[in-house]
Amino acid sequence: MEHSEAIQLMAAEKYLLDELPADVRDEFEEHLFGCHECAMDMRTASVFLEQGKAVLTEPEVATVVYKDQSRPGFFAWLRPAFAIPAMAALLLVIGYQNLVTLPQLTRSLNKPQLLPATTVNLLTYGTNATPLVVHRGEGFLLNVIAPPDHRYPAYEADLRSPAGGVESVAISAQADDTWPIQFPGANRQNGTYRIVVHGIAAGGQNVEVGGASFQLQVQQ
Amino acid sequence: MQFHAFDSVYLEQLRAGDYRTQEHFVSYFSELIRLKLGKRLHSRPEIEDARQETFTRVLSALRRDDGVRQPERLGAFVNSVCNNVLLEHYRSASQEAPGAEEEAAANIPDPALSAVDIIANREIQRKVRHILDELPEKDRRLIKEVFLDERDKDEVCRDLGVDREYLRVLLHRAKKSFKSLYLKKMKERALQE
Repeated sequence: MEHSEAIQLMAAEKYLLDELPADVRDEFEEHLFGCHECAMDMRTASVFLEQGKAVLTEPEVATVVYKDQSRPGFFAWLRPAFAIPAMAALLLVIGYQNLVTLPQLTRSLNKPQLLPATTVNLLTYGTNATPLVVHRGEGFLLNVIAPPDHRYPAYEADLRSPAGGVESVAISAQADDTWPIQFPGANRQNGTYRIVVHGIAAGGQNVEVGGASFQLQVQQ
Repeated sequence: MQFHAFDSVYLEQLRAGDYRTQEHFVSYFSELIRLKLGKRLHSRPEIEDARQETFTRVLSALRRDDGVRQPERLGAFVNSVCNNVLLEHYRSASQEAPGAEEEAAANIPDPALSAVDIIANREIQRKVRHILDELPEKDRRLIKEVFLDERDKDEVCRDLGVDREYLRVLLHRAKKSFKSLYLKKMKERALQE
């Protein structure tokens, strides 16, 4: 077998894969033992395959995938560099609330205080001439003159603000002629407020029994 | 294995028992003989016995006056001696007892040690690993199942949806990728010697 013939035939590869017929194999071997180039080619392939077998039998090493640190993920805020200052800030807030804010609120709740108050008559028209003056954040008292006949077992009073907000309070039937309703002082604005009272019938029907308006002035 | 011209000087050194020449000679032909015998014999002891016998006979013939007459035909001579050894093996004839002067040569040093030196070369291992890692999974699996697992080649090709030509080309390309580094390393080793 000539060298060029061996190359063209891919004789080396076929020899390694046992694909050569016996007579061609014998011819190639005769060439192989006498041709340095083919002998080196065969040695190279043999070494490659021997080493390849060793590599392929090695246990696969698990690769650790490192997350791209330049793009913080959803839980990046849990990292100590961020979490510790955040926790410290939270502790400060909690401490202030527990040590300062809550005691103040508790003291103010437990202390007797005079609330701004006004009386509203559901059966009159127009607005109270004298505005109700409150300090910012201060609650007030509305003395609602009850409907005279006390027809319904329960009532509901709606306080409507100038901005259109509604605060509702349930009132069980009382024999009193005046209902003192305390409203909190948060987020109050200057303007005309209206209180509307509904009677709640036994069957659940809601019937307006009257309303009254008053002026609220909020002082800083 | 650096190529030495198989000339009269080489033959003379081999006849004289020059250690380095003999080492080169055995190393050069051992792998070829193993490949040849591996396709015909099935057990490692049989292959090793036949390899030893081949070298014994070649070295014996070299030391005879009418031994190898054409140095450039040394390779062909080794091949034909190996064929004779195989024929005798097939006929299950007893081997000719080695003569006293041949006993010293009967124990042909296993050149696997020098092959191990090369194989152990980390760069070569890395290169092979790199070549295999660069292969697509299918190709890597093809090489593994054919050469390591020794599965039937047609079955493997069928499983992976390729033909035998694909397998041949894969082997050719892998060998080509590896060859330049391997030859470089062998030259460096030869220079060191």
